[in-house]
Amino acid sequence: MVTIQIDGQTLQVPPGTTVLKAAEKIGVLIPRYCYHPAFEPEGSCRMCLVEIEDLPKLDLACSTVVREGMTVWTSTPKVLQARQEVLGFFLADHPLDCPICDKAGECFLQIYYDQHGRYASRFLETKEKKKKKVPIGKDLLLDRERCILCTRCVRFLCRVTGTGELGVFERGVKAEIGIDEGAPVANNYSGNLVDICPVGAITDRDFRFKTRVWFLENRRSICPRCSRGCNIVIQSICGYPLPGNERRVYRIVPAENPDVNGYWMCDLGRSGYHDIEDNRLDAIAVKGEGAAAGQPLSWESALKGLVSDVRAAAAFGRPPRLGLILSSFLTNEELEASRRLFVESLGAKHVFFADPAPGKADGLLLTADRAPNRRGAQMAGFEPKPPDLVGLSESVDLLLVFGPHILDHVPVEEAARAFGKIRRTYLLAAHRSALDEVAEVVLPTAVPAEKQGSFTNTNGLKQHFERALKPSRGRRAEGAILAGLAAELNVKLD
Amino acid sequence: MADAKETLIPAEENSFRLEAYLARGGYEAARKTLLSMQPGQVMDEVKKANLRGRGGAGFPAGSKWAFVPKADDQPKYLCVNADEGEPGTFKDRAIMTRNPHLLLEGIVLTCYAVGIHTAVIYVRGEYESIARRLEQAIGEAGLKGFLGADVFGTGFGLEVYVHRGAGAYICGEETALLESVEGKRGWPRLRPPFPASIGLFRAPTVINNVETIANVPLIFRYGAEAFVAQGLPRDGGTRVFGVSGAVKKPGLYELPVGTSLRKIIYDWAGGPAEGQGIKAIVPGGLSAPFLTPDEIDVPMDYESLAHIKSMLGSAAVIVIGDRTPIIDVLRIVARFYAHESCGQCTPCRVGTTWISKTADRIAAGGGVPGDLDLIRRLAEGMKGKTLCPMGDAAAFPVLSMVGKFGRELEETISRRAE
Repeated sequence: MVTIQIDGQTLQVPPGTTVLKAAEKIGVLIPRYCYHPAFEPEGSCRMCLVEIEDLPKLDLACSTVVREGMTVWTSTPKVLQARQEVLGFFLADHPLDCPICDKAGECFLQIYYDQHGRYASRFLETKEKKKKKVPIGKDLLLDRERCILCTRCVRFLCRVTGTGELGVFERGVKAEIGIDEGAPVANNYSGNLVDICPVGAITDRDFRFKTRVWFLENRRSICPRCSRGCNIVIQSICGYPLPGNERRVYRIVPAENPDVNGYWMCDLGRSGYHDIEDNRLDAIAVKGEGAAAGQPLSWESALKGLVSDVRAAAAFGRPPRLGLILSSFLTNEELEASRRLFVESLGAKHVFFADPAPGKADGLLLTADRAPNRRGAQMAGFEPKPPDLVGLSESVDLLLVFGPHILDHVPVEEAARAFGKIRRTYLLAAHRSALDEVAEVVLPTAVPAEKQGSFTNTNGLKQHFERALKPSRGRRAEGAILAGLAAELNVKLD
Repeated sequence: MADAKETLIPAEENSFRLEAYLARGGYEAARKTLLSMQPGQVMDEVKKANLRGRGGAGFPAGSKWAFVPKADDQPKYLCVNADEGEPGTFKDRAIMTRNPHLLLEGIVLTCYAVGIHTAVIYVRGEYESIARRLEQAIGEAGLKGFLGADVFGTGFGLEVYVHRGAGAYICGEETALLESVEGKRGWPRLRPPFPASIGLFRAPTVINNVETIANVPLIFRYGAEAFVAQGLPRDGGTRVFGVSGAVKKPGLYELPVGTSLRKIIYDWAGGPAEGQGIKAIVPGGLSAPFLTPDEIDVPMDYESLAHIKSMLGSAAVIVIGDRTPIIDVLRIVARFYAHESCGQCTPCRVGTTWISKTADRIAAGGGVPGDLDLIRRLAEGMKGKTLCPMGDAAAFPVLSMVGKFGRELEETISRRAE
């Protein structure tokens, strides 16, 4: 260990630690733009200059490695002045269009100006004019007037995706980020460029002008779109400034987890917020009821019906004439409840899974398995495979289907034929699908973001997550439905 | 061996030809040295000669070489910096045009001393004919066995390549030069690591200026003592002073290190141009802080100039006549650095352009009180705070102009504002 002193505090850090990282350990956050913990120090923004005793000039905190006995000062007048100067340089040509900039509120030009700037501008010259709406691929737009040339985006594409779509063109104050003609950003990790841009230079059409970041509520969850289990933050607004109690998810961003996803997440997962907002089932539907009568069905009566249907299927003894098509979108806790209730207590034998057809792994984070908890299902003792629907339809009187993914394995007509032979079929699903017309009863359920529980990722890592969003009215988590059922049937789940 | 003492820039016609160089005793020093001395002894001899880098920073060449790891199990490179972009500087082109084999002989000695088998001469883009001349010289030397797989029959192998730049000032900065040779954008690298440990293609690399390397054969031809005796004890040999601007006889003058600036300007360059006095002098390339006429007696060596807070740099002397308004000099200097800033680090990218725009505004009659203080603050914001020395290079002349010619500049501002 190396003993150093930062701002009068003595601390010990491993050899090779940089001054910036050592300072973080004692809660001293040295401002930085080009530095990102995922990359080697770049040293170009010059924002992290600090005073190191016995050195004639200020030195970079991001790249200077600690030496035994080193004494560092991070807030001397000299350092503060250098920070003001660097900010002054950044802001000289900055368009100051914060009122229409999506980064406002989480922009490090604003944050550092507030913390370290607070000077009166002395810039009397004409600002550099640059292009403000350059499409650089996917849904990304580049504003070159806002860009501070930290090159985090360029380095991300070189070092993380290895695709290298962005580069620096031109020289000096004319230097700008750009793509080669006809070769836009086209990888599955483009959204990270928006996250790592410390200013509003790279924005996403999907988020542009939709809201202001200070209205967003940030809650952690786990991305359900593949079996990696990337840690995410779901950014939503519930209520003001939306009318009434309206809830809307605006963005999903990665949450740092060195064991799973590092600092990143893929675009497929990022667009997963559409799964939360779009195409949702929002009312209970029973064939021939409700809709025709113009009356929404209540959960009480629907659950009562479910309880009596389960009782009826179990009345013939063991095994009951009850089939289950579970899903690897269910949490470990929901799978465990299903096992206790249906398999252990009622002795159900016809237990299957229907998951999305595998996609293509991309070699970085995205796995081929497009459900979050298949590993958890396996570890809970299930064999997650789809059923032979024809055989199943002859063995059961009641079929409970979790999610619409049986349609990833059989055409809807075949599902309809099989379901038609079964006395009673329930679909518990979060999203609309062709299966809605096939099942007799449709119960709208919650998506993982609206649940708490755990998923076990492809590497066998069990990750707990809290509820990031309240399920909107009319929807219930599968776990709650199972718990209600268990209570009615006098089965203890824990 | 020829009687006349070899100079960096021989006056004779066709001095660049191999036969002419051989007739002057060329390649003898390298042959003898390689046949009779160990690499370590060669390095010691250069250290003894106190040969300081001629590119600008004046780092002792022998010490620089000693930083390179001795181990022979990995590639090492020599990069000869022939980018010569410093305004006012035109000495290397003359050395390479008139004495390319002297440079090659210096390369042989340097590479032998450090254990390098590949050398690259990085020639600035505009020097097209020089690049061709160097390639021709390399071909001639190869045929004679002075370069190639078996130099002087010693078994020592050395290949020399010419690499042309594309015209950016920043590529004369040693790490930007390395990036450029690697085929990348010419952006300086963050140091440490220094090129001596991680340089070209991540291998240990020596980077020296053309004039530095061209001096090496002279050390071995005449001995380290003679080399030191010619200059100063801690700064040996001669310098090629390139005098330009408002003088009667602009040109290149190879004189002992430590010759006084007055002597260079008055005795050699013929004094100030007809009908003019001297207003300011740039002693070592545009990046050096300006001197006033009363500082003209300074000896031209690194330490003497550092003592009066300027620098010897590339030893390019630019004389500014008293008819030239300083605001015009400031404007042109600022515009050069704004144009050549690579754009990588913030203070230089923005600071150079900001100063340039402010100087343009003042020159156009739009100066306001406080402008000089602003320029000083901007230059201070670059000085010592940039990723590479270019921030200093841009700040030094500006700071010296504002400091030493502040009254004239203030007058310009107030007169034009009326």
